Parts: sequence; C-alpha cells; structure tokens
Amino acid sequence: MKRLVSLAILALALPAAPALAQDSATGTVGIDGRVTPVCILGDPDPALVDLGQISESSGPRTCKIRTISPQVVRLPASFCNFAGSVVRVSTTALTSSDTTAPQPGFSRAVNYTATATNWAAGSSAATSAALRDGTSPTASGLGSTQPLPRIADITVTLTNFTTPGDLILVAGNYSGTVVVTLGPAAVPD
Amino acid sequence: MIKRLTLSLAALALALPGAALAQQADTSTKHVGVIGTVPQMCFGGTLNGSDTFDLGILIDTTTGQLRSDLNASPKILVGSMCTSRSTITVTATPLTAQGFTVAPPTGFSSAVDYTATASGWTATPASYNTAAAANAAATQGRATAFTGDITVAISDFATTGGNALRLVADEDYRGLVTVTLAAVN
Repeated sequence: MKRLVSLAILALALPAAPALAQDSATGTVGIDGRVTPVCILGDPDPALVDLGQISESSGPRTCKIRTISPQVVRLPASFCNFAGSVVRVSTTALTSSDTTAPQPGFSRAVNYTATATNWAAGSSAATSAALRDGTSPTASGLGSTQPLPRIADITVTLTNFTTPGDLILVAGNYSGTVVVTLGPAAVPD
Repeated sequence: MIKRLTLSLAALALALPGAALAQQADTSTKHVGVIGTVPQMCFGGTLNGSDTFDLGILIDTTTGQLRSDLNASPKILVGSMCTSRSTITVTATPLTAQGFTVAPPTGFSSAVDYTATASGWTATPASYNTAAAANAAATQGRATAFTGDITVAISDFATTGGNALRLVADEDYRGLVTVTLAAVN
C-alpha cells in the first residue's frame, strides 16, 4: 500500500517541473475575419427563350398573336448569405427589329408577364405594357423580403403574351429581355 | 517579439474586409433573352356577299349588241391584310360563252372584254383589261404592312372583236377576276 502512494506522488510532481524552469512565455494571437454579404444568381436555363412563330397562320386570328404556353426559366442554386434579400424582375416587351411606326391596325410589340418564384413568400412579377409602336416597353416588380440566408432554384415563368389591342403583328424578328436581380431589400435596384 | 506579431495580424485583419467590401457586390443580376418571329403573311380577306358579279342580260335585245349600260356592284374583300410590304395583282379573263365554244360566225362574237380593278390597297388601283396585250398597271406595290378592305370592280365592257359585233346566244357567259396579295421582302 505504501508503495502505491509513492508512485502517485511522483506522477503529480513531474508535469510541474518545466513551469518552474521559467525559460518560455505564452502569448495569445487574435484571428479576425469577415464574410461580406453576397448574392449570386444561378445561370439562367435556358438563357434564351425562343418562342418561334408568335402569330397565327390561319383561322379567325390569322396574323394575330397565337396562344403561347408558359415559358419557364430556372436559375439554379441562387443564394444570398444574409437575411433580408429580395428578387426584382424587370421585363422588356418583345418588339420588332423594324422600328418603323406601324400602320393603323398593326402592332410591333408583344407584352408579357414575368414571375419569379421560390425565393420569398409570394412572388416577384412584372407585366410589360408597351404601346403598339413599341414605346414604354419596360416594367419591373419587387417581391417580398426573404428573412433568412437562402439557397434555392429561382423559377421565372413567362406568361400572358398579348399584343396591344390584340392588333395584327407586323412581320419581323422580335426580341425582349427579362432581367432578374437578387440583392438586399434595402437596395432593390 | 510576440507583441509585434500580434499587432501585425490585427492590421491585416482590418485591411482585408475593407478591400472586399469595395470590390464585391452583394447584388446579382442575370439577363434572359426572349425572341420570336412573325412571318410575312397576307390574307385576302372575306368576300362580302355573293362571289359572283351577275350582269344579267348582256345584250340590247333590240340590236343584239352588247348593252352600253352594263354595270355591276363592286365586291368587297373585307379585312384583307399583309404583315409586311406587299404587292396587289389583279388578273381577269374575258366573259366567254360556255356553251357556244366553236368559232363564232362572221358578224358575231362569243366574248366580252372588260376592265377589272382592285382599289383600296394602293394609291393607284391595280387594274387589268382583258383586251389589252399588256397590263402594266395590273400589279401595284405597297411599302408598308396594311389591313383594310379591297374593292373589286368591273367596268368598260366591250365586245371582243368590236362593239359592232353581235353576241352569240348562250345561257352562260363566264369570266373570272383574281386578286392576289403577295408579301414582298
């Protein structure tokens, strides 16, 4: 029994020996860093929505806009690493490359609605309201604020393709643009 | 030595976030193009009423010669349209006896010429005379897309071979007027 006690004392004494030597010192080093607020939208898929022929070829609506099914664009793995972000959608109506003022009864503009979903409650939507001569082609809409950092596939759906006054479309190539912006709610543009 | 090291690290930590904030936007923007096409197309319109000019009796029954007062109400092609610049062309065939098909005897004719016009599409109506060797005015051009009504009329009736000739009897003299709208590049 006595022998066992002696061994325990020795074990306690050994670690204390270096501290007593006084030949080193201990300091602390602080490490500081930051993560900046970032939003990154995924690359649109598809990046170009080709509607093909947008006018009717026959029937009572010949040369007027045909029924165009909803067009879906995904922006995969979009994210913001901070709370309080928002999606803005801006649409520019499809307009003919021929900028000549259309004759009475004709339109060179096609309006539509772009709706972005799956970011915050509700959606972000914008409906262009170009006039038949293609003026005032742009509209934008802001969604509600996402209260948390989020990563998600944002879906943009293009619907409700119409021409002002349901007029006849001038022949030509038409193009428009949808701009999706993801950023802090405090700076929506 | 340790103290100096600590200060250096702190300075680095302060410098990096400033540079990052200045250079990295917290907003992301993507563009999606939307395209479509509207082809060049023309629609001849809808004929208002009957598709036939009914001239009735062609001759003055006291002379056997072509009546001088022949006329017919114009026909209207309602809602004609072209989505681009276009041409309008009118052609016509003489009124000819459908039953009496052999060569008419001397002093007689079995055909009536006339002029067909299509107006409302171009400043100068397209016109075609069935007796003319050439009809330069049969095709007219329009530089812009257009929609509207086209009025098709027939006039200037004349016995083929001369108005002194008599027309052979036939229950059915028939001609045809054709109006063509064509998109132009």
